[in-house]
Amino acid sequence: MRLELREITKRFPGVLANDRISISVDKGQVLGLLGENGAGKTTLMNILSGLYKPDSGEILVDDQPRVFSDPHAAIAAGVGMVHQHFMLVPVFDVVEAVALGAETVRGPLHTFDRAAARRRIVELSERYKLNVNPDLKIETLPVGVRQRVEILKALYRQSDILVLDEPSAVLTPSETEELFGIIRSLAASGTTVIFITHKLNEVIEVADKIVVLRRGRVAGTADPKTATRQELANLMVGRDVELIVPKGPAKPGDVVLNIKDLVVRDDRLELAVKSVDLDVRAGEILAIAGVQGNGQTELVEAITGLRTIDSGEITIGGRHVEKATPRQVSDLGVAHIPEDRGRDGLIAFMSVAENYILDTYHRQPYSRRGVFDLKAVDERATQGVRDFDIRTPSIRTLVTALSGGNQQKVVVAREFSVPVQLVIAAQPTRGLDVGSIEYIHRRIVEQRDAGAAIVIVSTELDEVLAVGDRIAVMFDGRIVGILSGDDATLENLGLLMGGAKFGEGTAA
Amino acid sequence: MSAAVASPLPHGEGLAARRALRDARIRGATFLALGVASFYFASSSFQTPAIFGFRIYTTGRETFEVATSVGLLWMIAGLAAALVGALQLWRGATFRWRPWLLVLLAPYVTVILGALLNGTTANLTRVLSGSFELATPLTLGALAGILSERSGMFNIALEGKMLIGACVSVVVGSVVLGATGNMFAATVAGVSAAMIAGGLLGLLLAWLGIRHRVDQIIAGTVINIGAVGITNFLFLRVLGSSPELNTPPNVSAMQLPFLSEIPVLGPLLFSLRPYVYLSIILVLVLTYLIYRTRWGLRLRASGEKPAAAGTVGINVLQIRYRALLFAGLICGLAGSYLPLATAGSFQMQMTAGKGFIALAAMIFGAWHPIGAFAAALVFGFADSAQALLSILGAQVPPQLLNSVPYVVTIVVVAGVVGRVRGPASAGQPYEQG
Repeated sequence: MRLELREITKRFPGVLANDRISISVDKGQVLGLLGENGAGKTTLMNILSGLYKPDSGEILVDDQPRVFSDPHAAIAAGVGMVHQHFMLVPVFDVVEAVALGAETVRGPLHTFDRAAARRRIVELSERYKLNVNPDLKIETLPVGVRQRVEILKALYRQSDILVLDEPSAVLTPSETEELFGIIRSLAASGTTVIFITHKLNEVIEVADKIVVLRRGRVAGTADPKTATRQELANLMVGRDVELIVPKGPAKPGDVVLNIKDLVVRDDRLELAVKSVDLDVRAGEILAIAGVQGNGQTELVEAITGLRTIDSGEITIGGRHVEKATPRQVSDLGVAHIPEDRGRDGLIAFMSVAENYILDTYHRQPYSRRGVFDLKAVDERATQGVRDFDIRTPSIRTLVTALSGGNQQKVVVAREFSVPVQLVIAAQPTRGLDVGSIEYIHRRIVEQRDAGAAIVIVSTELDEVLAVGDRIAVMFDGRIVGILSGDDATLENLGLLMGGAKFGEGTAA
Repeated sequence: MSAAVASPLPHGEGLAARRALRDARIRGATFLALGVASFYFASSSFQTPAIFGFRIYTTGRETFEVATSVGLLWMIAGLAAALVGALQLWRGATFRWRPWLLVLLAPYVTVILGALLNGTTANLTRVLSGSFELATPLTLGALAGILSERSGMFNIALEGKMLIGACVSVVVGSVVLGATGNMFAATVAGVSAAMIAGGLLGLLLAWLGIRHRVDQIIAGTVINIGAVGITNFLFLRVLGSSPELNTPPNVSAMQLPFLSEIPVLGPLLFSLRPYVYLSIILVLVLTYLIYRTRWGLRLRASGEKPAAAGTVGINVLQIRYRALLFAGLICGLAGSYLPLATAGSFQMQMTAGKGFIALAAMIFGAWHPIGAFAAALVFGFADSAQALLSILGAQVPPQLLNSVPYVVTIVVVAGVVGRVRGPASAGQPYEQG
């Protein structure tokens, strides 16, 4: 079916989330909707799925105006949604999860006709090669399969228009490839697909047509056959950005971080890091790539003193830190940019200034004999805000009021406010827009050039390739390979991340 | 370029597995020790007779007696415990011991009963049929709890709703009985009024929790405290001065045709109050509705992951309102049981924690109607055995005996239940777009 949005406008208190957005997509076409966080993608999607009502504007399906007053109406018009955070009941099996809300029933008590639902699911799964076992419980399925169950859910409702919201965020590179295959075959069989993302490679690879949103408006359209990543990034941000921060060759010095045979357990006491050996030298960036949940979190927590280790050795600048507390590690000149800034990096309901001194508040010049020198705090925090270009109304503003990019800048400003010999940055640009990513990368490279050893943990291959001087791939609690930045490619990294043994299919 | 060579795990099996094995050994040794202790008790009590009587017919006094000795019962229990202990040690951490614990319960309950009776003949028909009767308000309360929590709402107000239901049923029943003299009409009127009162309180709880997003535990507590205050006031100021308002109709046992004439089983299972049959029917109907129908699927989705239901167009809030309304109706029914079936009048705080024991039965039964019914039976049995022992004058202080059902509740919830998982989103408000 053909879908057209005309002049869609949606206003929230203080924000114009969608400003006269007009988009159209033809039957069997794949539309890539590209935009940064806050560009209005999610609002537009919620309007399409009937969760929000637009303040003005029209939605046309096959040139007929339709009003999506609730999710039912959207589903009835043939719009199926695959949410970024899966909307599946974990304790249901696939049949129940898919049929929920569109159950076939029989008898006076509206008994759920499970057999009929199961037949349809099996049939759809076979027709579109989704390869889903209908009798398994959702919570036992890997994320890639859960996503296919979400797609099944839309197909089960006979959706002709499929909207996918950031579908690759949780997938491994090979699962993403599989997803693209499914999208292409759906489009070939006449389904219209809207693919929402902020990843430039993906729209270029899978879309027939690209629309870029910026600050609630359509910033431009592009043809994936001719568009370059640079053009799309510039459109997204509204200025010229550097996708890959320029950096000179690394000048590795002495070993700063040395890890020998490290074993660490996760919260459930299972082995998460299984014998890791690593050396990171001053003046180089070691990027650790890997799919989420392969021990990276535990590795970082072990280095920074947040998690007790099972066995092994960790030295920083020659000092043993296996039993050190987080403060002792920090006092050695270790900057830690934590994976989840909302949980471990910032205190949401404290001000920018207070967050700026979180790890140094107890020392001169902020504290004297246990009493704050508020003037010194204000001066330094103001300096930090200026140096790191943190967009905040004042240093008294609560960090929760800042955008994600500015929150992350507060973390980075604090961590880099004292001299560092080692930087541990876990997912330093997660959820940030292209402009902020560029800024954070630039600052990290500066630290490297100033002689710090840098460890960046990231699940984004683009990031790993952009900043890593050496790239280690972590899989199932082990470092399965270390490549130099020049040898690494999307392909060989992807294979290693999926668990291929080093040397199999990677350039040796 | 270098590659780290994957080394074998330095630590063998996981720490979790080692702990499980250690726990399994401790458990096995405990069971064995229990068996040995039982043999020790047996050695000194072979002379003590244990006589259990069962009534043969519903009418008449003939009884069928099983006579044995306490020592023999200790032997049987001890053998069972030793067997479970040996199995546990043999099978290690993979042994599923919880079901066996329930198997052990039967011989131990029997032997402890026999030991406490110390030779006196006990009428078990009374104890067992009493278990069904005493389990009924707990079963109904647990069903109300299951409905609420499956929809995603905590409902700790069961106690308060039952108390209000009890009071309303007495007042309305008494008025109708006084006006018409018709026992049946008065009962129907009293029970219906109690259900309506419970239903309204259920809606109040839903309104507080959904519309005003009051913390559901706090809202429930408010209703519980309010119910005590209102009914105490009514009892002291109104019912005290007008006793005609506190003479409700009486629901007596109903002998089911044919079934009640089966020897032994008839008087035990088929001459109980209609409430008991009604609660069992409700258990079966709700089991079907929750697990086999569209409504049940949506109810469970609302309690597990409301966003998943909302995005496919299901009205989660409506489901929650309705679930709480139905839960309230059932609570009112449970409340009316206490004065109409057992006490014969309304008394201050006559629910005495039954609403909370019902919640325990809900958890013990893993949020499943049949499981909750079984749990309620365990509590009902504890209550019933306690009543028997206090009547027969066992050598135990009555305060201690009175605490038996509560002790059983704690032991069961803490020990036997272990980790069961309730609806994942229960207690969390859901924002509907």
